[in-house]
Amino acid sequence: MFKELDPILHSQLRLAVMSLLLSVKEAEFTFIREKTNATAGNLSVQVQKLKEAGYIDVVKEFKDNYPNTKCHITPVGIKAFEEYVKALQEYLKVGQPKL
Amino acid sequence: MVLAQGGARKEPLHNLHFANNALQIKIRPGFAGLILQLLCCMEKNEKGFSPEESLLLIESMINKAKDRFGEDGHLYILWGWLVLIGSVTEFVLFHYFQYEKHYLVWSVSWVLLAYQIYYLVAKYRRQKVRTYTAHIIGYVWLTFVILAFLIGFLNGRLSGDSRYFYHIFPLLLALYGMPVFLSGVIIRFRPLVIGGICCWVLSVIATFLPYDYQMLMLSVAMVVAWLIPGYLLRAKFKQEKTK
Repeated sequence: MFKELDPILHSQLRLAVMSLLLSVKEAEFTFIREKTNATAGNLSVQVQKLKEAGYIDVVKEFKDNYPNTKCHITPVGIKAFEEYVKALQEYLKVGQPKL
Repeated sequence: MVLAQGGARKEPLHNLHFANNALQIKIRPGFAGLILQLLCCMEKNEKGFSPEESLLLIESMINKAKDRFGEDGHLYILWGWLVLIGSVTEFVLFHYFQYEKHYLVWSVSWVLLAYQIYYLVAKYRRQKVRTYTAHIIGYVWLTFVILAFLIGFLNGRLSGDSRYFYHIFPLLLALYGMPVFLSGVIIRFRPLVIGGICCWVLSVIATFLPYDYQMLMLSVAMVVAWLIPGYLLRAKFKQEKTK
């Protein structure tokens, strides 16, 4: 029986954001936007969904008098990501041709 | 769902035929394109996203987040030159002029320290992303600064005489090796690793030399551990930037 893929993570943009944040300590919203090539609006919605799921923390602050948003992955997010990758591996194992 | 283009008008209309042909809608091309794009995106995002595509996406994002070579060697070069000039000047003052307060030459390092704090704060504010590598290296250098002050203090307290500073160069050389070696290991940059090891070798050599020549070991350490790796780091940084 296959594990169900986490619907929060099984979306291209949300998965891209999580993969990025997993590799760095923290990243600004503009950095994530540059790397994912997403629009600010779409990214904002997806970041909010990840935040609501408790997978990332979002800190809003001011930098040189301009609002600045910083994100970092939470332990819950790391666990969810690990589970997601495990589930993917199971799918791929079954998909491979038997030698 | 099939998309066909009408050709009768100047601005052609799109016909959206549904599978059973029960419904046929005529809409302008821009709008049809937008709807189709949205439908495709939704499908791609939520349904047609295979496990293979997921893994490829994860891999590509991790590669994008990988540390581009973020170290330009600026501080290595700056401190390298300052300590090199300082140690040679101190040697000349002590060896040729027997000037008693030869150590005063190091007062200038407070100015550079103030500049370094300003530089690091500005760099921190400019950065859009903080990597684990930079975070760990920051703490390695902080440990080095704390230990450098501690060694100066402990050496003075434990030696107990007025010539306590006679042991300081071999101790500092041994200490210099630590952050250079660790930084090299963390950012996988061999010249720094070699530089760190050279500092340790020079610290042992320094114990066999008279005090004034120990100062010159510090000059050699600055060239092999800070200046050469610093310029190589700068070259690599520029190379990565142009890619």
